[in-house]
Amino acid sequence: MSLLNVKNLKKYYSAGLIKKRYSVKALDGVSFDVVPGEIFGVIGESGCGKTTLGLVLSRLERETSGEITFKGSKLSGTLKLDPETRRQIQIIFQNPYESFDPRLRIEQSLLLPMRINHICDNDAERREKILGYMKDAGFEPPDAFLNRYPHELSGGQLQRISIIRAMLLKPTFLVADECVSMLDLSVRASVVNLLLDLVERERTTVLFITHDLSLAGHVCDHIMVLYLGKMVELSTAKRIVESPLHPYTRVLMSYSPSIFKKREKINVKKLGVETAIGSGCVFEPRCPYSFEKCVEQMPPLIEIEPNHSVACWLYLKT
Amino acid sequence: MRFRTDFAKRYLSSRYGLAGLIMFLTMLIMALFAPVIAPYKPTDISHDMLSPPSKVHPFGTDHLGRDVFSRVVHGARVSLTVGFVAAGLSALIGIVIGALSGYIGGVFDEVISKIIDSFLMFPVFFLILIIVAVFGRNLVYIMLVIGLTTWPSNARIMRAQTMSIKEKAFVKIARANGESPTRIIFTHIIPNGMYPVVANSAMQIGGAILTEAALSFLGLGDPSVVSWGKMINDARSYMSFAWWSIVFPGIFTVITVVTFSFIGDGLQQALYPKLSEVRNE
Amino acid sequence: MKNIVLDVQDLSVHYRINKKVIRAVEDVSFKVEEGDFVGIVGESGSGKSTLAHTIIRLLPTNAMVVSGRIELLGYDVLSLGEEDMRKIRWKEFSMVFQKSLNALSPVHKVGNQLADAMKAHNPNLTEEEIIDRLKQLLRMVNLPERVLKAYPHQLSGGMMQRIMIALALLNHPKFIIFDEATTALDVVTQGQIIEEIKSLVKSLSLTGLVISHDLGVVSELCDEIVVMYAGRLVEHGTTEQILQQPLHPYTQGLVRSLPDFAQEKKKLSGIPGNLPDLSQPVHQCVFAPRCPIATEECFKTVPSTEEIDGRRVACLKVGARI
Repeated sequence: MSLLNVKNLKKYYSAGLIKKRYSVKALDGVSFDVVPGEIFGVIGESGCGKTTLGLVLSRLERETSGEITFKGSKLSGTLKLDPETRRQIQIIFQNPYESFDPRLRIEQSLLLPMRINHICDNDAERREKILGYMKDAGFEPPDAFLNRYPHELSGGQLQRISIIRAMLLKPTFLVADECVSMLDLSVRASVVNLLLDLVERERTTVLFITHDLSLAGHVCDHIMVLYLGKMVELSTAKRIVESPLHPYTRVLMSYSPSIFKKREKINVKKLGVETAIGSGCVFEPRCPYSFEKCVEQMPPLIEIEPNHSVACWLYLKT
Repeated sequence: MRFRTDFAKRYLSSRYGLAGLIMFLTMLIMALFAPVIAPYKPTDISHDMLSPPSKVHPFGTDHLGRDVFSRVVHGARVSLTVGFVAAGLSALIGIVIGALSGYIGGVFDEVISKIIDSFLMFPVFFLILIIVAVFGRNLVYIMLVIGLTTWPSNARIMRAQTMSIKEKAFVKIARANGESPTRIIFTHIIPNGMYPVVANSAMQIGGAILTEAALSFLGLGDPSVVSWGKMINDARSYMSFAWWSIVFPGIFTVITVVTFSFIGDGLQQALYPKLSEVRNE
Repeated sequence: MKNIVLDVQDLSVHYRINKKVIRAVEDVSFKVEEGDFVGIVGESGSGKSTLAHTIIRLLPTNAMVVSGRIELLGYDVLSLGEEDMRKIRWKEFSMVFQKSLNALSPVHKVGNQLADAMKAHNPNLTEEEIIDRLKQLLRMVNLPERVLKAYPHQLSGGMMQRIMIALALLNHPKFIIFDEATTALDVVTQGQIIEEIKSLVKSLSLTGLVISHDLGVVSELCDEIVVMYAGRLVEHGTTEQILQQPLHPYTQGLVRSLPDFAQEKKKLSGIPGNLPDLSQPVHQCVFAPRCPIATEECFKTVPSTEEIDGRRVACLKVGARI
């Protein structure tokens, strides 16, 4: 039984002033299942649609088409949720400094969502609860931070409070969009570890969006790789990291700067000034292994091994 | 709160802002303590008609023997009231409509934007003129009409502010937390986005004072109050030989308008420090 | 013994912001030998960018060099006049920045802008010579010639960054600084550009610095690494020494913070705490408040940079492993 089921999800943004002349396909037919309690990673470079996916799944933006089922009931079609479902889906963003109303003290920013969602009976209890979470997250003394304004805290501190704010609402599903990519390396751990601790304790399911394959490999149970709005590979984190199949995933792996094992770089084709994407595979213009079939048609996503799906003609030749 | 003290510091570091504030405070004291400051009642008639400035009448007297200085001092009350009420109303309407339009978006936003644009192209003064002519020469009407016709510039500023703030992560998180649109608009968007509207409103206060003066000058002012515009209107026929009766209210009108324009400048500088000190980063 | 191209001695640079003095760089010394690339690694607030900007004298007006000496290619950089500096900057040495998109005018074609930049420094060149040189440069950075006819907005981030590298190489500099030059790029593009820089550096026998927050990037490009924390040099050694056997607790923490492609979920390690307030003068080890092995001594004395086994470390507990 899946917690979240996504079928053929599409999101097009249209541009052009009067006539909708062209549209950007941010998400183009994405389907997957998220199992309760898992951390589901979404990997891709800028423009692959991963942020859009987070916004659509957290119901902050409407999809163009497709179906989203959450806990057995349909989410897609409208952004109006009943308060209970609304509480169950929360989101954390990349920029901690933008995640807080600059005019509110930390305490107000944390209390307001709890009041709206009727967490605890009164503010005293709520404050008690907030202090508990803050203490667990390493804020010492916790009440000293509640009276501060966001600009008085560091990025790492704000991002931890951002996680606490989301988790105080006891969500079943949490979208974490690049939640450490703006932070310094040495403070990333405190944020990721807090997230992992809390979601494990509360059995929260997480959609972990990142561009960093090594981080995703570290944190996630399943990983989905997106390229220009299309799913190109989906498997367990272990398989994606150890034996990636899709050329794009392999290229991504080989180019991730790492101080550990130096990997053989896979040369990719260079993109020209105007590289048009036709009806073929989205990765074909850069793919080092492409052949005629790739130019003609986008390959479907096929499960070629148990729990390992790839959209690539290399594996569908027969 | 650091934000506020920084704001005050930046405001006061602007020469215009500081000058405007001092001028405004002087004027405010003049208006509040008008009965104490003015040597005569503004409506007291005497036999000493159209007499030039002297020790007894520092600004001279008008054609009915009323003390021009006392009338100017009392006129400050009317001018400031008109300015603040009209601009305040304009800011209030502008902020609410602009925020709603920017936040809701879609067809609603397009309709509001079209209304704003047409208002901005329309010669508003003539509209005010017609309304006052039809509905009567009452100070309350005049303030209401000025407020009701000048909000579009505020709405446009607030709409732009709203569009940028609503894309910020904290607004998206507020939506995910289940905050209602009304709550988001009134607790997050308006308090964070209204400062540029406030700066614009300071300039609008000057504009409203000028509009009231213009209406009074054309004989459409409230007959029951003492206002600078009305004094200028009254003095028209005598200005060739009694300059004081027209020059003093005129000077005060100009000073007031300049004061609020200075304050607006100061606020602009406090809001957008980058504009004035580009190299200082 | 190789020639020393860059010699930074006891450099301190402070900023004045709102009447406060921010100690961005404090007592930093290091040398770069001919043909070497040295990476300056540090997190935000470490002073690495200030250091780079000081070397090519492109500091903002509120910065002041409090002490120190910089010798670059035989020039005493800090005492040169602005006019003399302008003559050699971009010619003898140059720099590639992170935010390159803003560097070019959006309304002129890339080729014309490059040609103008070239003419400014070489007024005697003919039109043809300039075009030849530009084409040669584009080949070096793996770009097709037609980008010369394109406007900046038509190019991708990776192409723009390659143009910026070409621009920096325009006048055959001997020394080049890459300041977060690949940071804003996607993983694959970043990887490609790193490979290109590697081969360029080799074929042109350049010397230089790579400023980055990313140990991975630096380890790909550099022979040596300087690790900075809160304006101070904490460790300087060969890339292998720094990555395999870091001595300073900060470097050790940093290296451990990197997630490897680990198979199973496990906790990331990091360094607890925050950067110290740079506006306060420090009379202790700057890293002591976050250091797991700090003792009373560390809160009393500022550690000097000691040389051990051919590398330099600023730590009283040198060599201590956690």
